[in-house]
Amino acid sequence: MTDPIITFDNVTYTYPGTETPALDSISFSVLPGEYVAVLGLNGAGTTTLGLCVNGVVPTMLGGDLEGTVTVAGLDVGEYAVREMAKIVGMVFDNPEFQMSQLSAAEEIAVGLENAGVPYEDMIRIIPETLALVGLAGFEERSPLGLSGGQQQRLAIAAVLAMSPQILIMDEPTSNLDPIGKQEVFDMAARLNKEKGMTVIVIEHEVEVMARYADRVIVLNEGKVVLNGTPHDIFSRVDELAALHLRVPESAALSTLLARQGLWKGETPTRTESAVDAVNTLLEARRG
Amino acid sequence: MSMQGALPVSLIPGDSVLHRVHPLPKMIWVVLYVVVAFMTQNIIVLYGMALLALLLGIIGGVVKPLLKAAFIIVPIGSSLLALQLMAPAVEQPWTQIAQLGPITLYEDGLYYGLVLLGRIVACLLMALVVVMTTHPSDLFTTLSKLKVPYTLNFMMAMTLQLIPVFQREVGIILSAQKSRGMKGNGFQAVLPSFVPVFVGAIERVQQLSISLESRGFGSAGHKTSYRQVRGKASDWVLAVIAIAAAALLGTVSIMRGGWSVSELLVVEPATAVAVWVVSASVFLGIIAFALILSFRKS
Ligand SMILES: Nc1ncnc2c1ncn2[C@@H]1O[C@H](COP(=O)(O)OP(=O)(O)OP(=O)(O)O)[C@@H](O)[C@H]1O
Ligand SMILES: [Mg+2]
Repeated sequence: MTDPIITFDNVTYTYPGTETPALDSISFSVLPGEYVAVLGLNGAGTTTLGLCVNGVVPTMLGGDLEGTVTVAGLDVGEYAVREMAKIVGMVFDNPEFQMSQLSAAEEIAVGLENAGVPYEDMIRIIPETLALVGLAGFEERSPLGLSGGQQQRLAIAAVLAMSPQILIMDEPTSNLDPIGKQEVFDMAARLNKEKGMTVIVIEHEVEVMARYADRVIVLNEGKVVLNGTPHDIFSRVDELAALHLRVPESAALSTLLARQGLWKGETPTRTESAVDAVNTLLEARRG
Repeated sequence: MSMQGALPVSLIPGDSVLHRVHPLPKMIWVVLYVVVAFMTQNIIVLYGMALLALLLGIIGGVVKPLLKAAFIIVPIGSSLLALQLMAPAVEQPWTQIAQLGPITLYEDGLYYGLVLLGRIVACLLMALVVVMTTHPSDLFTTLSKLKVPYTLNFMMAMTLQLIPVFQREVGIILSAQKSRGMKGNGFQAVLPSFVPVFVGAIERVQQLSISLESRGFGSAGHKTSYRQVRGKASDWVLAVIAIAAAALLGTVSIMRGGWSVSELLVVEPATAVAVWVVSASVFLGIIAFALILSFRKS
């Protein structure tokens, strides 16, 4: 069996100046090449969980961390965040606050320059990465003059250019239109499948998770309450409802049908499987 | 679109000869201008330097924005002349030239006022021409080649880029405060907006530093540079000519004890009075205008 690339071992974390822990006794691990979605209500601790993986928590933010986070065999607490940059690429939730340069190309270059990537490689990587996120030709544009969605794409590009082993994205599509959202998740799925990049996405949109993720982790009040395949998690309609979390429409539909005694099969969690299921149902009625 | 237009002074994109000169000789020009301007008291040299800078502005195709930005000289210059005429910043005794009621005007003041003004005009014009014809990133890349610490350089570049952001934020906060019925005009309204802007700035800087560090910013070891600024032979010729000219002017100035040519400037009392009245009223007029604006602007 392969060793996990990320391991949380009984992690409890309290922000400086607060009483209640933002993360409470968290244990889970992620295998290399997994696509994991993290779900939780506002304040559940999803962002904090992401920040633990490259050590921003606790190295930069202080506070009190118990337990250990191990990433690619390294105890995160013992390394500076900048040293983790080669392994973990982190896209934060506020795109504008990640822009610091006079042009998009230079924004992407920051990571490459600091990693010592030669100029000859940079001039190839930068346009390639911009094209990958749908910003081809944006090299000389001022990052702060871009739209929120374009900034989000640029923030992703700035991290992807460094080809990290692990990509963490915190609500990466909150400013994107539906097509833009799909593009970003398709892109992450491609990197995951083709390059074996481990992907962790913090998202509120359950349809997206059901579609792309290998695994879903649900946080509530700093605790991992559910951890399993999307199918497994989203079939637990009642448990999720008790946590005030939405389930994919397909799962909600089949649950309603089941309650009326119309549906006896497995709960479909993807739109396509729901369509198939309803078709079978209709055919059975007709026939 | 690009927020850079909101900056009071920034690169005016173009492809002139001047735009293509390497940033290093340009920086050298500015430094030499400052050095020579403060060594000499010769107004012919000073205004000649100002004229040369203006000429470079024409070559660079940036005269219009240059003159617009240089407008700042008007309040500075007028106050300088008015004050110098009344109290020259040179050693006494001063030669009295005219009496305007309780105000005494001195001949030395006019010359020295023109020297001070000439220094400011020459250095300002040169600095503006360089800033307006050089890409800021090239400027910073060159500075880092000169071993200016990466972090310091980075801070300067970031500040430059955050100015328009804060300008915009002040605007947003002002209108938010107004929509909540907050009253007040001018300074009264701007002051309370500094608190949220300041708090926002701290938050932004913290998040930005987290984002940068997460991208490896500040890593030890070899760093590379994306911006490549290459020098041409002609760039070095320009630098050498400038250094030679500056050395010559500087040496002559020192040898001649400042190289003042005040004897060339023969002024009638009436001229001195006219210069004083004009500059004092321009200065007061600008102050009054600014005050009215700040109170009327809502
Ligand atoms: N810098 C901080 N200092 C103190 N407390 C914090 C800080 N950041 C977050 N918290 C607290 O920690 C808890 C978890 O916050 P976190 O940002 O991880 O939530 P989240 O799940 O990402 O929520 P959202 O979906 O709104 O982004 C919250 O109660 C929050 O108030
Ligand atoms: Mg969050």
